[in-house]
Formats: sequence, C-alpha cells, structure tokens
Amino acid sequence: MITITINDREIKLEKPVSVLEAARSAGIKIPTLCYHEQLERYGGCRLCLVEVEKMPRLQTACTLMVADGMVVRTETEQIADVRRGILEFLLINHPLDCPYCDKAGECDLQDLVEKYGPGKGRFKEKKRKVPESLQDPVIVRNMDRCIMCTRCVRMCEGLQGASAIAVINRGGHSHIEPFSSGRFDCEYCGNCVSVCPVGAIMSRLHRHSYRPWQVKEQYETVCPYCGVGCTVVTQVRDDVIKRVIPKLGSTVNNGMLCSRGRFGYEFVGSKDRLSVPLIRKNGALAEATWEEAITLVAKKLGNIKSTYGSDAVAGMASPRCTNEDNYVLQKFLRVAVGTNNVDTTARTGFAGAQSFIENIFGQGATANIISGLANSDTVMVIGGDPTTVNPILGLQIRACARRGGQVMTVGEFEGLRIFSPTKLLPRQFTETFLLEGIVTALREKKGLSGANAPLEGKIKSINVTAADVAAKSGVSEKQLAAYVDLLAAATTFSIVIGKETVQSIGGSYKLLLLAAITYLANGRVYLLSEKANEQGALDMGCAPDMLPGYRPVAYPEFTKKYGAVWHAELSEKPGLNLFEMIEAAEKGTLRAMYVMGENPVCNIPNSGRVEKAFKNLDFLIVQDIFLTETAKLADVVLPALGWGEKDGTFTNMERRIQRVKKSVQREGMEDWKIVAEIAKNMGYRMDYTKAEEVFHEIAKVSPLYRDLSYEDIEKGENIYPYKGEPLRDVKEDIQIDTSAVSAAAGKLYLKVERPLFHSGTMSTHAASLMNIYPHAVARIGAGRAKMLSLTEGDVVTVRSKAGALSLFIAIEKAGDDLSVTISNNFESKGAFRLADYTLDQVTKAPCIDAVEISIEKVTA
Amino acid sequence: MFSSAAKQEIEDIRTKYPNARAALLPTIYVAQREFGWLSSEAYDAVADLLNVPKATVRGVATFYAMYKQKPMGRHLIQLCTNVSCMILGAERLVDFLKITYGVEPGGVSPDGRFSLVIMECIGACGTAPAMLVNDDFHDNLTEKKLQEILEKYT
Repeated sequence: MITITINDREIKLEKPVSVLEAARSAGIKIPTLCYHEQLERYGGCRLCLVEVEKMPRLQTACTLMVADGMVVRTETEQIADVRRGILEFLLINHPLDCPYCDKAGECDLQDLVEKYGPGKGRFKEKKRKVPESLQDPVIVRNMDRCIMCTRCVRMCEGLQGASAIAVINRGGHSHIEPFSSGRFDCEYCGNCVSVCPVGAIMSRLHRHSYRPWQVKEQYETVCPYCGVGCTVVTQVRDDVIKRVIPKLGSTVNNGMLCSRGRFGYEFVGSKDRLSVPLIRKNGALAEATWEEAITLVAKKLGNIKSTYGSDAVAGMASPRCTNEDNYVLQKFLRVAVGTNNVDTTARTGFAGAQSFIENIFGQGATANIISGLANSDTVMVIGGDPTTVNPILGLQIRACARRGGQVMTVGEFEGLRIFSPTKLLPRQFTETFLLEGIVTALREKKGLSGANAPLEGKIKSINVTAADVAAKSGVSEKQLAAYVDLLAAATTFSIVIGKETVQSIGGSYKLLLLAAITYLANGRVYLLSEKANEQGALDMGCAPDMLPGYRPVAYPEFTKKYGAVWHAELSEKPGLNLFEMIEAAEKGTLRAMYVMGENPVCNIPNSGRVEKAFKNLDFLIVQDIFLTETAKLADVVLPALGWGEKDGTFTNMERRIQRVKKSVQREGMEDWKIVAEIAKNMGYRMDYTKAEEVFHEIAKVSPLYRDLSYEDIEKGENIYPYKGEPLRDVKEDIQIDTSAVSAAAGKLYLKVERPLFHSGTMSTHAASLMNIYPHAVARIGAGRAKMLSLTEGDVVTVRSKAGALSLFIAIEKAGDDLSVTISNNFESKGAFRLADYTLDQVTKAPCIDAVEISIEKVTA
Repeated sequence: MFSSAAKQEIEDIRTKYPNARAALLPTIYVAQREFGWLSSEAYDAVADLLNVPKATVRGVATFYAMYKQKPMGRHLIQLCTNVSCMILGAERLVDFLKITYGVEPGGVSPDGRFSLVIMECIGACGTAPAMLVNDDFHDNLTEKKLQEILEKYT
C-alpha cells in the first residue's frame, strides 16, 4: 500500500501509478494535453507540472511515479504562472481561428486556455503559416494548429502499429506528416483523429457541417462491418449520422476503430437506398405499394408451396442482419412455408470451419476473447491477413508482437510485416505437407496427453519427415525445426485461421492439422469472421440442419419441442444448403427463393452460375437496402431498414451478444417486420411489435440464449456461455477431405483480396471508403507484370473457365508471380465472377484456391 | 535499390546495433552516399532493408541537418562565414563562388558540380577563412587559392 498526499488529501494506492493517475482517481483535476490514457507517457506539453515536496523543480505528473510519503500540490501560485506561460507559448503559433475550426467546442486547448490561460498574448510576431492540407480524401491536416503533443504519432506507432506518420523536421519547424507529405496512404483507421486534442488532424467527412454541441443524440451501438463487433458511438443531428466515434473503455475495441468502422457509415443515408417496394411488371421492376408487394409475395409463395411442396421454396438469411431478423426469417420458412431450406453465406467458410472445430473440441471452441491474443505468448496466423479482415483483432496480434510475444505465420501478411513475424513460406499448394510436418515434429516433441482420443487417433496417423517437407514445400529442415521449437515452447498459444485456408482444396484436412497443432500446443482457435453477424445468423438457426441453438432438425425431440413453441409441425428433413440451393434452382426443383439482406450473385463463388440459377427460378424475392445485382433479378424487391435505423442484436466472433441501436429515423420496416407481415398474409400470425419481443422469444426457444434479455446484455451478461450454459462436448468421429492439387508450371491462379477498405458490397455505398479504394483492380506481382509487359493502370481482361473480367492493373512490388489478386467487393467486377469451385466434402466450403486464369492486355 | 556492396555494408552496420531502429542513422548515411541525396527511393530502400516504416525513417532523417533533403552537387562545399572567417573575407569568397561557379548558398551549381552550404564555425578561426570540401579541410583561403583547390574536384 502506497500513501501519498495531494493537496493535503491523503490517497491510498494499491499499485504504483503516475501522480497524474493517482490525482485523477481521487477526483483531483490536473490539466494535460499530451497525456492520453491509452498512449505511452510523453511528458512533452508540460501542462501537468506539479510541486512535489523535497524535489527542487516542478515535475510532470504524467511521468512521475508515486512513491510512499510523497507530498504533491497541484494548485499553487507558481503552477498557475507556469500553466499560463505554457499556454501563452502554445498560442504564439496556434491560430485563433476557433470560430471557423471544427474542433471548437471539444478542443482541449480551447478549454484549457479558457480556464488557465492568459487573457491575451504578448507576442507581436507573425504566426507560423502552414497551408491546410486537403490532399487526402478522408483526413484533413491543419498543421498551423498542431501543438506537437505527438499523440497522433504515438497512436499510429504504438497502438495502431501502422507507423504511417512521423514528426518531420526539428524545433520550430517540426510538424506531423505522412511519408508522402500529402495523401496519407495509410490504414485510414482515423485513430489519430480521435486522439488529436486540437483541430490539427480531423475527419473530412463532416467538415464544416455541424458543431459538437449541436449533437443532440448519440447512441452506443455495434459496427456493421466485420465479426469483431466493435462498439461505436453514432452522433446524430437531424436524423443524419454526422460522425462515428469509438468509446474509450469499450470491451472489444477500447477506443480503437478501423477505416470501415469509422469512415464507412455513409451508406446509411446514401441516395442509392431503396425506399419503395418494386414489382416486376412486363419484364421491368416498377414501383408498387407495400400492400401490393406483400400480398403478391404471400400469394405466390402460397401457390408454389401448394403446387410443388414446401421444399420448392428456400430462403437466405444474412450475416449483415440482426439476430432478430434472422430468427424471424428462419421461423417463417420453417413454420409458414414448412421447409428447412435456409442458409447464409456463412456457409462459404465460417460455418463449416466452426462446426468442424467444434466437432473436435466441443461447442464454443472458437468463442475466444479477442483481447486474449495480445496476452498470448505465441500467436500463429494462417489463411488470411487479420489486420485487413478483422482489423481490431489484427491490432491484438500486433500488440502481442510488441509485448515480445512470438508471432508466427504461414504465408506473408502485409499487415504484420514490420513486426517481423517468424514465417514459413511453402510453395503453392504444399501447405498441407508443411502442416503435416509440423504436426509430426510437434508430436514427437510434446507427446500425447490422451485427453482427446478421436483427435489423437488422427494425429498418430500423420507421419511426414522434415526432409519430405523440405523436398515438397521448399521449407528447409532447419526452418521447420526452429518453427516447431517455438510452438513447443509456447505456454499460452493462440492460432488465427482465415478463410483462405477454409476455402482451399483439402481445407478440412488442413483444419484438422491446425486443430492438431492447437491441441499439441495447448492453445485456442480464432476463426476470422468477415461479416458482423455470421455467428449470430448461425446461432439463430439459419442453417439447413440446425434449429436455433444448434439443435439438429433431424432429431424428432427437438423438432417437436420447437414446434410446440411455434404452434406448428416442423419438417425433420434437413434442408438444402447454399450450394445445393443453387443446384436445385438450376435443375428446376427449387421454384422460389426469399433472399434477405444478402447479395448471393456477388457473394457466392462463380457468380455467373448463381445468376443463371436465379434466373431459372419462378419467383425471386429480394429484401435489401440497395438494388444489388441479385435484387435486379428479383420479381419483388422489398426495401428494408438498415443498420443505424433499427434495433436488435449482433453476436460477434467471441459469441458476445451486443445491442445494435437505432440512431436515425427512417420510414420503412425492419427485415423481421416485413417477414412477419408476409407470414400474416400467409395465415401464420407473428405479432411482434418490436425487436425486443423477438429477442424474448429467442431467449425462450434457444438453449444458447436462455432467458437473456436486453437488460442482461447491457449489463454485460452477454458473453458465451450465457448464464453458465455448459458446453456440449460432441466428439464424433472426425471426417476429412484430403483432396489435393499440384501446381502447374507457369500457370496463373486467382487469389481473392480481402481488403481493409471494403467489406461485401455494402461499403461501396460509403463515399469515403470509395474515395480511398475507388474501383476494382487486378493486382499482379512486379515480376509477372514485366513478363507480360504490363504497367500500372493498363486495362486487362482476366479470364477463367467461369467467366471474364475487364480490370485495371495494379502492380505490387512484393507480389508473387503465381497469382493475380482481385477483390470481391465491386458488383459485376468481383473475383467470384471467375471463381469456379469444388466443395470440400466435410465443411461444404467452396474451394477457390486453384482457379486457373489468364490475363491479356486490352489494346485501346 | 542498393548495390550489393552497399547492402553488405548496411548488414555489417546492422550487426553493431541492438535493433534496426538504432542502425538508422549510419544506414541513412549510406543511402545518401548511394543515391546522392535522400530521395523518396532512398527512403524506400532504407525502410525495406531495415524493415522500419518509411515515415519513421523520414522523420529521423529530417531531424538532422547533415542529411541531404534535396539533390546536391557532386561535391559539397561547406564554407564558414562566422565572425573570424567573415572578418578575413569569407563573404567575398561567397560572391566569388557565385560568379565563378554559379553556386549560391544552399544551392547547386548549374553543372551539378558543387553544392554550397554556409557553416557556422568549423573550428578553424586561427587559420580563417576555412571550408570543407566533402571530407577535406582547407584553410587560409583566398579567391585564388579557393579556385585552385576547387579545380581539383571535377
């Protein structure tokens, strides 16, 4: 116990902290500018100077650690003088343009000068002028206003780990700049914007459009983009989201955001939003009333059901929609239509991988706390760059590296490059051999504990020598041994698995090998999740074989139980999964589809095939917020309320249920409400008046969410297992698919880019993200580009068996010569247009890592 | 890109320091020598080789006065015009350089041969005026002697 005295008050402290923190904990205010609770201490602004007895000079409270018996004074004549002086000095160059500056009203310097500063300055010299920099599409710099607290630089380097900005020059000439000195060309997390205490670095999105005090409402909600589920605060004026900011202390992201979360909100008020229902009349979509649309849908579905049977109808739920939306849709299909044909695009990777891992380790095996990564001593990453797929999770891996942890990768990930991970780079299509080699060597080193018999059975059958690995994969015996040594030495081990592994040929076998490594190194598994509510959609039973809470439909006891609550008889026949739906639509056995909040034409590989299959349907209903590629094919388009306009819950990849809140008012209906209206018209009543009522029912039905309420969630009873529901240990025999492919010399393969600045096609409606990443490109390694005599910006045609795309070339200095990387975010220009696939027999994920392509320059 | 000799030199430098950041200053010197000045390519090369972020490399380099932030002549004249040198005619030498070689303080001669930087005392007051040409020291300068010396640097 440490006792110190501040301003004659005795303060007792458990742990040694800085004098500043001690004072703040006791409610004593000490002004600061360069101090920020998240950042490394700096002691640069000198505003926090305090008097300490027996110390000859004033001390900076932010850097001085408390010592037992210390006597500190924070408000004396001398300190007031010094503060006045410092502020006067800062104002020599800081312009007094507050009436024009967006920061006014929430500016630390303004507040401090008002409280402690001199009435006026004594300096007659001209102020330093640095022109405002508008060279960047998202961030505006006003270096006149910079007070050199370096918070932004410490944020960028120390927490974000991007190191994109630095202090340039020295003394009076110093200022903050990105490398290019113009455009930022960085990760655009905007975390520098959050920490800037003055108006030197600000967002351009809301420039001069409102004042901080005009924000009347703000809502703490969850980001709509990826599966991390960061807390964001929406600030609203006149029903427009003016700004999205993070919240210090929030559980998942603690004051940090990524580019999508911070700058991607503009899709909410986009002018491309659908607002009235559309019905296809004479081949074209025409505006209609809600009544017309809903009666038509109910009638058509009713007809198809009675003519062809319930299983001629299928539905697609959405990892972008809330749990409530998804629950109501699957209930509608199971009850009002009477089919188990319901699935989501989580099937393209996340769903299969998760159930595969859970089958080995038990339910909830992938529900691990994201911040645990930073505390792991060893993190292994494979199959995707976590800093672009799940940026905030990526930060935790960077934090692990910074704390001296081992970050190990299989493959090269740009976002981790400057953290110098220990990496293995196997030749194309030889990852499996490498992983077999690792498992063999690790088993020999660590031995088997006998805890998981089915898995150990598999591990025992794997025997690949290091020499074999070296011959096949090109990873030397020495490299492999060093890698395995690190794995064996790990005490708190985590493994992060991305979609590329899941979506590769032999994906389930790779997952088994990774599970084996996890088991041998006694670690935890993290599955990257690309969309906000992938986990939730699965929890809600949006799967052809599972009822809400993962109760198999094939077990009569469950179908009976759920049927009793829903007042209906449920089908025990497992439905069609995503890919079977496409096949059935092609064959004509599937007649109608209800697509909610999803753009399958773009988001399922081999888009051309999906498109053809959808055209073959008798009746297609698409419910969305934009007129997507899929919606354009629909017979009825139903406009829904989107994120920011409705209440509900998302469940993130940690299985944390979080509240999504309505921030702005918009005319229209939530997804669940539209579905409920249609159900009513088909003779099945769903009388929910608000999302919370739907959640009550979920909590009643699903054993996973047992008795949870919105209040419980807000109180923090929101992390799996909820209310102590025990894990179900389901160790069945492990099935694997060992398909393999070998590389053909000189061939080019398609690689799917998972960019930081886009997510699905939703982000293409956010103007700022489009400014950063404006159009689809084909990325090609510098070597290959030279071979094909391509230069940056050339237009090429990329062809595969499945289709062709015309794209601009972007040359990657460090890119490999075997692949062309294309993102799948731009409608009609997505990589999935080219991606012919085979399915993994176990995870049912599409394997798209061996799509051969050719590239040719388009001559003007 | 660095020549392989420069790469080797940097690798040797790297071994003398505990981490890449600590090796930045001498590495930037090598880059400056290889590229002539600290161009964007020079920064890229240092950043790639040491695996230190580009912005950080530039931040470090711009802190110091002795790194060249703009293209320089083949030879660098650092002429002192502080008190002793000034009294003994250094300013005439500045004019002479301008007339004879067309190089102004802080500038480059049109033929790219010389750069001129005015120094604040190089510690040769006893034999003023004095200058450094690249790493060579010259003192007791007169216009004639200055020209004779500079003719040796082509």
